[in-house]
Amino acid sequence: MAVDRRGFLKFVAGVSAGVMVTPIPWKLLDDASIWTQNWPWIPSNVDGATSYVSTVSKLCPSCVGMKVRLVGDRPVRILPDENHPLSKGGISPLAVAEAQMLYSPARVKRPLKRAADGAYVAISWEEADALLAEKLGAAKGSIACVSGDETGSINEVLSSLAVQAGSGNFYLMPTEAQPAAKALAAMGGKGQLGYDIENSDYVLAIGANVLETWGPVISTRAAYKAARPHGEDPAVQFVFAGPVQNSTAAGADQWVPIKAGTEGVFALGIAHLLIKAGATADAADFSAFKSLAEAYTPAKVAEITGTNADQLKAVAAALLKARTPLVVCGSDFGQGTGAGTVMAGIAVNMLLGGLNRKGGLKLLPVAEPVVSSAMSRAEMMDKDFVSYMSRINAGKEKAPKAMVFYEANPAYALPQATKMSEVLGQVSFKVTFTTFLDETAMLCDLVLPVPMGLERLDDVATPYGYGQALYCLARPVAPMPASVKPAGDYIVALAGKLGCSLGVSSWEEVLQAKAKAMDADWDSLMDGNVFTSDATVSANLSFAADLLAKSVNVKAQEGNFAVAPVFKLGIGTAKTAIPPYNNKLIRRWELQGNELYVAMNGATARKLGVMMHDKIVISNKSGSINARVNIFEGIMNDTITVLMGLGHTAFDQFSKGKGENVMQLLTVGFEAGTGLSVWNMAGVTISKA
Amino acid sequence: MQAKEFKVKWGMAIDIDKCTGCGACMVACQAENNLSPIEDASNKIKVMNWLVVYELSNKKPFPEHDVAYLPRPCQQCGTPPCVSVCPVIATDKNEEGGIVSQIYPRCIGCRYCMAACPYHARYFNWLDPVWPEGMEKALTPDVSVRPRGVVEKCSFCHHRFMMAKDKAIVEGRDPEALADGEYVTSCTEACPNGAIVFGDLNNPDHQVYELARSKYASRLLERLHADTQVYYISRREWVRRQLDNYLDNEKVKG
Amino acid sequence: MEKNYSLPADHDLFPEGAQRCSLMKFTVWMGLVGVVAVWGLYAAYKVLSTGLGVTALDDYFGFGLWITFDLAVIALGAGAFFTGLLRYILNIDPLKNIINLTVIVGFICYSGAMLILVLDVGQPVRAWFGYWHANVHSMLTEVIFCITCYLIVLIIEYVPLILEQKQLNRIPLLHHIAHNLHVMMPLFAGVGAFLSTFHQGSLGGMYGVLFARPYVFRDGFFVWPWTFFLFVISAVGSGPVFTVLIATLMEKMTGKKLVSWDIKSLMGKIAGSMLFVYLIFKFMDTYGWIAHILPNAGLTYDQNFYGNIYGQWLLWAELGVCGVLPCIILLVPSLRNNPALFYSAAILDCIGVTINRYVFTVQALAMPVMPFDTWETYAPNWAEWGSSALVVAYGAIVLSLSYRYLPVFPQEKKLNATKA
Repeated sequence: MAVDRRGFLKFVAGVSAGVMVTPIPWKLLDDASIWTQNWPWIPSNVDGATSYVSTVSKLCPSCVGMKVRLVGDRPVRILPDENHPLSKGGISPLAVAEAQMLYSPARVKRPLKRAADGAYVAISWEEADALLAEKLGAAKGSIACVSGDETGSINEVLSSLAVQAGSGNFYLMPTEAQPAAKALAAMGGKGQLGYDIENSDYVLAIGANVLETWGPVISTRAAYKAARPHGEDPAVQFVFAGPVQNSTAAGADQWVPIKAGTEGVFALGIAHLLIKAGATADAADFSAFKSLAEAYTPAKVAEITGTNADQLKAVAAALLKARTPLVVCGSDFGQGTGAGTVMAGIAVNMLLGGLNRKGGLKLLPVAEPVVSSAMSRAEMMDKDFVSYMSRINAGKEKAPKAMVFYEANPAYALPQATKMSEVLGQVSFKVTFTTFLDETAMLCDLVLPVPMGLERLDDVATPYGYGQALYCLARPVAPMPASVKPAGDYIVALAGKLGCSLGVSSWEEVLQAKAKAMDADWDSLMDGNVFTSDATVSANLSFAADLLAKSVNVKAQEGNFAVAPVFKLGIGTAKTAIPPYNNKLIRRWELQGNELYVAMNGATARKLGVMMHDKIVISNKSGSINARVNIFEGIMNDTITVLMGLGHTAFDQFSKGKGENVMQLLTVGFEAGTGLSVWNMAGVTISKA
Repeated sequence: MQAKEFKVKWGMAIDIDKCTGCGACMVACQAENNLSPIEDASNKIKVMNWLVVYELSNKKPFPEHDVAYLPRPCQQCGTPPCVSVCPVIATDKNEEGGIVSQIYPRCIGCRYCMAACPYHARYFNWLDPVWPEGMEKALTPDVSVRPRGVVEKCSFCHHRFMMAKDKAIVEGRDPEALADGEYVTSCTEACPNGAIVFGDLNNPDHQVYELARSKYASRLLERLHADTQVYYISRREWVRRQLDNYLDNEKVKG
Repeated sequence: MEKNYSLPADHDLFPEGAQRCSLMKFTVWMGLVGVVAVWGLYAAYKVLSTGLGVTALDDYFGFGLWITFDLAVIALGAGAFFTGLLRYILNIDPLKNIINLTVIVGFICYSGAMLILVLDVGQPVRAWFGYWHANVHSMLTEVIFCITCYLIVLIIEYVPLILEQKQLNRIPLLHHIAHNLHVMMPLFAGVGAFLSTFHQGSLGGMYGVLFARPYVFRDGFFVWPWTFFLFVISAVGSGPVFTVLIATLMEKMTGKKLVSWDIKSLMGKIAGSMLFVYLIFKFMDTYGWIAHILPNAGLTYDQNFYGNIYGQWLLWAELGVCGVLPCIILLVPSLRNNPALFYSAAILDCIGVTINRYVFTVQALAMPVMPFDTWETYAPNWAEWGSSALVVAYGAIVLSLSYRYLPVFPQEKKLNATKA
C-alpha cells in the first residue's frame, strides 16, 4: 500500500493523539524528577546495619577518643565518645574527617620503590622485603629511626631497632613534649608533666594554644565546656598570652599580647609579682630563683614582651586570688619552644603551690619499656632530631647509612624544611612506613604502606599535657586495604631479621606487655575502655635558677618583623596534610586559589606602606615566601602571622601546591644552657613584591 | 506575616563566647550530610557549606581588638523568606518540628530562594558532586546525594529527627515529646566546646527553652521578622550589636 | 513571465511590492550573525552539559546577567502588549503601522527570555514543575504561568503575519486562518495585555516581596508590593520607544523608510507619558524606601551603596539622566520632534529601565544584610555573555527573515515609492 502525504500526516497525527491518551508521556514526565535526581554518575547511598565502635585517633595529635559509626563494615562517621576521657563528648576537626581519609587520594596503596630515573614503581611485598633486608643489613650499625607517633609503643620497637642494629639514633619528630621533658629533668623531676586543667579555676596559658593545638586539646576543651554554661559568667577563667589572637585567645576571657619567644620572660614577670606578694616555694634554690625573678620587674617584662605592665599585674593578682590556678607554658604553634619557657612555667606553678595538687601541675608516672633494649621515655625525649640534623649538616656527625621513618614527615615539618631535605639527601638509603604519599616519601628509596589508625591495632599512652596517666587502644574497626601491612608486626619481624632480640614476638605481645606495665587490664582495653590513674610521682623540684637564667634570655632576632605561625588542627598536620573536607576551613583571606595570604595589623601595614591584598615577600636567611596581605587587628605590632599546614609539595589535590610552607622561614637556634634546638622566634624582613 | 506555630519547634542556642572557630562542626556537617569535597575551596561564595563559621571583629585596632566566631546553620525561620517564593513547593515549613525542608527531586534550581535568604544559608550545586575514587564508600545511608542544579541547605539533620521519632514510637513513647538530647544535630554533637545547644524551643524540659529566653540571647536580623529558630548568646555587647542592623542611636538589648 | 535576473533569486518570496537586497548579501549578513549564534550555542552547550558552574554566578549572586537580561528584554518587549492594547482595545488606529513589528520584537524578547531561562534553571528537565507543583504564593509561579501563556499569545499574534507571506497566503486554508485570526486579534490583544501586565508586575513583585532584602523590599498595596506597579509602568514607559529604536535600526541597515516619523513620534509620546507617570511613583517609592523601609531594617541610605561598582551614580543615572531627562524630551513636542534628541531620549529611556532591572537583580544581592557580612561583586563571564549574545543573534535572525519575507511594515511601499 502506498502511503501518500496526506495519509502519512494522518498517521502521525493519529499516533501523537493516541500516545497522549496513554499514561506513557505523563509517566515519563513524572519520572523526570526521579532520574534527574539519580544520574548514573552520582554515587548512591549503600544501606547496611549501623554499629558503633569506640577507639582513639592515631591521626590527630590530640589523641581524641572517638566513636566510629559503621554501616556494614564501612566506617562512615567519626563521632565524639562521651565515655572517653580524651573526648568527653567532643571531637577534633581533624579526627572527624578520619573516615573519609581512609579513601584519601594521597594514600599509598602498595609498596613503592624509587627507580633509577627517580620515578616510583609499584613492587610486591616480597621485593620490598628483600630490598629492605639487603639495604638495612648493609647499613647495620648506622641506622637511624625517626618516628612521628609521640604516644605509641611502636617507638619502643623502633628505638630497640636503632639501638641494636643502628647507632642508637632514634628520634621523635619535635613537639612540645621534648622541651617539657627536658625542663622537668633539669629541675630534678621524674615522670611526665600533666596539667590538671579539668580541676583548675584559673588557667593561664602562656604561649600554649590550649584550646586549639596544645596537648590533648579536646579534653582541655571539655573542661572549658564544663566551666562555661551558656550566657553565664564562667566558673573558670582562661587567660591567653601570645602574639596572636588565635583560637585560644578567642575562647579566653582575656588576651594578653606578648611577643613570640618571650613566654618565659612573661612567666618570670609573673613570678616576680607573686614573690613580691609573698609567694614562696619549698625548694633548695628558692633564694637563687628569687634573686633571678627580682630582675624581671613589670617595667622590664613589659619592655621585653611588648605587653603592658598593668595587664601583667592584673593577671598576677588574679592568679593569687584563684583557689586552684594553673599556668601552662608552651608554643602557640605546637613546637620549637625552649625548655626555659616550660621551666619558667613550672616555677610559677611551684610558687602557686600547684605541684601535684588538684587542679595543678602533676608529675605522672611513666611505664618502663617492655621491649628489650628499647629507650625509656626519658631517653627518647632527650634525643633532639633537629639538633642531630644540624650536626650532620655542619659535618660534626656522619650521616647514617640508612634512615627509617615511621609516620614522620620531616621533609615538610622541620624548620628550614628545604635545608633539612638536603641533609636527608646525604643518607644513602631511606625507607618510610607511611599511610600517605608525603614529602618525605618523595625522598625515600622505599615507601611501605601502613594502615590508618582505624585499620590497625595500636596504642596511646599518656599524651603530653593530659592530667592523668592514661592508656588506651586503637582498635581496627575498618578492613585494611589488601596490599597494606600493619607496621607493628612488620617492624617486629624486621628487627628479628636484622638480628635484634626484642623479647617479644608480635606486635600484640608488645601492647599486652605495655598494658601490664601500665597496670591496665587488657581485656577491658580491648572492649574499648580507657585506663586512667590518679597516681603521681613525688615531686621535689628545684628551680634550676642558673639554667633558667641562661635559657630564658631572649636573643635579638633577624630583621624588623617577627613571624608567628598559626597552627589550626582542622587544617591538618604534616602527617595528614589537609583532609579533603577540611580545605573549606581555611578562611577566605588565608588562601585564595594557590596564593597565600599572611596577616598583620593596620599599624604594621602602615609602617610597611602596604594595603589589604598587596603582594609582599617575606624573607630571612633561611628562606623566603611570597604572599598577599590581609589585615587583622588581633596581632601584635611588627608581627606577621602565617597559617601552618600549607605549601605541600606532595599529597593530593586538596593540599598540593596550595600556599607556602611557613617552616621555610623558621630558623633553628640553640637554647643557651640546655643546647636544645629552638625555632620559636623567626625574624624576617618584608618587602613589597 | 504570622509565623507558623507547631507543637514541637526545634531550635538552637549558640553561645558565641564559647566558639573558638575550630571548624569541627563544619567538617562533621559535611560528613553527616554527604557533601562532596572540593579541590579548591577558596572561593567562599561558590563553595557548598551548610554550616559556615563567620569571623566577627569589634573593628577596633590592636590592642583593643576582639574577635568572635559565629557558626551559621540554616536559621529555620518561622516565616521563612525562602519558602513563599519557591515556585514549585520544593521547600516548606511544616509540622516537622518547624524545620524548613528542602526536597531535592522537586527543586528546579531557579535559585529564587537563595536571593530571598539574607543568611546565605542556601547553596546551589553548581556542578555535579565528585568524590575521590572510593570515598563514596564513606557516604552515610541517611542522606541522599544531590545532583547538580538543585539548591540545598542545612536540614537540622532531619534524618536524625526521624530516627529519634522512630525509636520513640517503637518504644511506645510520644514522638512529639522527645527527651532533651535524644535528637541533636551533627554539629551540636561534634562541638568540643559545647557552644551549640539543640532542643525543642517549646519544651520547658529542654535546655534551649530557657536559653532562648536569656537576656543575652537574640537572633540574627530579628527586625526583619523572619522569626528564626536559632538563638545566639553572647555576654559581649559588641557581638550582640552585630547580630542585627542597628542605627547609631539604637541600643542593643541584653 | 520572463525571468528577471536583476532581481534576487528569492524575490518570489518577498512581500508584495517590496525590494530587498541580493540573496548573497543577505547570506553574508546571516553568516555574520550565525557566527555569534554558534559561539552562543557553544556557551549554551557547556552550561547544559557541565552545569552552571561554568558561569560566574555563585551562591551570593544566584541571579546575574541572565536574569537582568531577561527582565530587561521583557520590559523592552512590553511594546508588544501595550501597543496591542492601544491599537486593538483603545482603537488608536495609526499604531497599525508598527503593530507587526511590536509583535515580532515581543515574540523575540519573550522566546529569547525563555531560552535563557532554560539555561538559568539548574534542572531544565523539571521546568514544567512550575505548572504541576505550582506554589500559588510565589510571584515566580505567576511569572512562569504568565510568560508561557503570553508567549503562546504572541505566537498566535505572529502566526497570521507568517501566513500572510505572499506564497503561503495563496493557499486558501492558510489565507482563511490568517483572516480569521485577524478578526479575533482584539481578543488576543486583550488577553495578552492582561497576561503581560500581570507578569511584568510579578517580575517586580518577585523582588518587592523579598522582605529580608531591604534593598528591594517594598511593602505592598493589597497583595502586591509597590514594585509590581513600578515594573509594569516602567515597562510600558520604555517598550514603545524600544520598538521604535529597532525600526530605526532596521531603516539604517536596509536604507529604506519603514515607519513614518509621526508614528515614531506618537510612540515616543506614549512612552514619555508613561515614563512621567512612572517617575512620579518611582520618586515616591524611593522616598518611602529611604524614609521607612531602610530605618525599619536598621539601615541607613549610605549602606546601600558600595564603591564605584554599586555606587550612588547608578541611582542618579537611573532616575535623572535616564529618567527625568528622556521624559522631558519625549513629552515636549519641540524636543521630541528633533530626531537626534528623540533617539537619544529613547536610548536613555531603555538604558534607564535596564539599570533598574540590573540593580534590583544584582546590587540587591551584592549588599550584605547581616552586619558582619561583606559586599560582594559580580561580573558575568563568557558563558553568560555568550548565551545572551545567542539570544541577540537569534533576534537578529528572526527579524531579518521576517523583514525579508513577511509584510511587516504596511507603510514601506508608500514611504519608499517617492524615493524610487
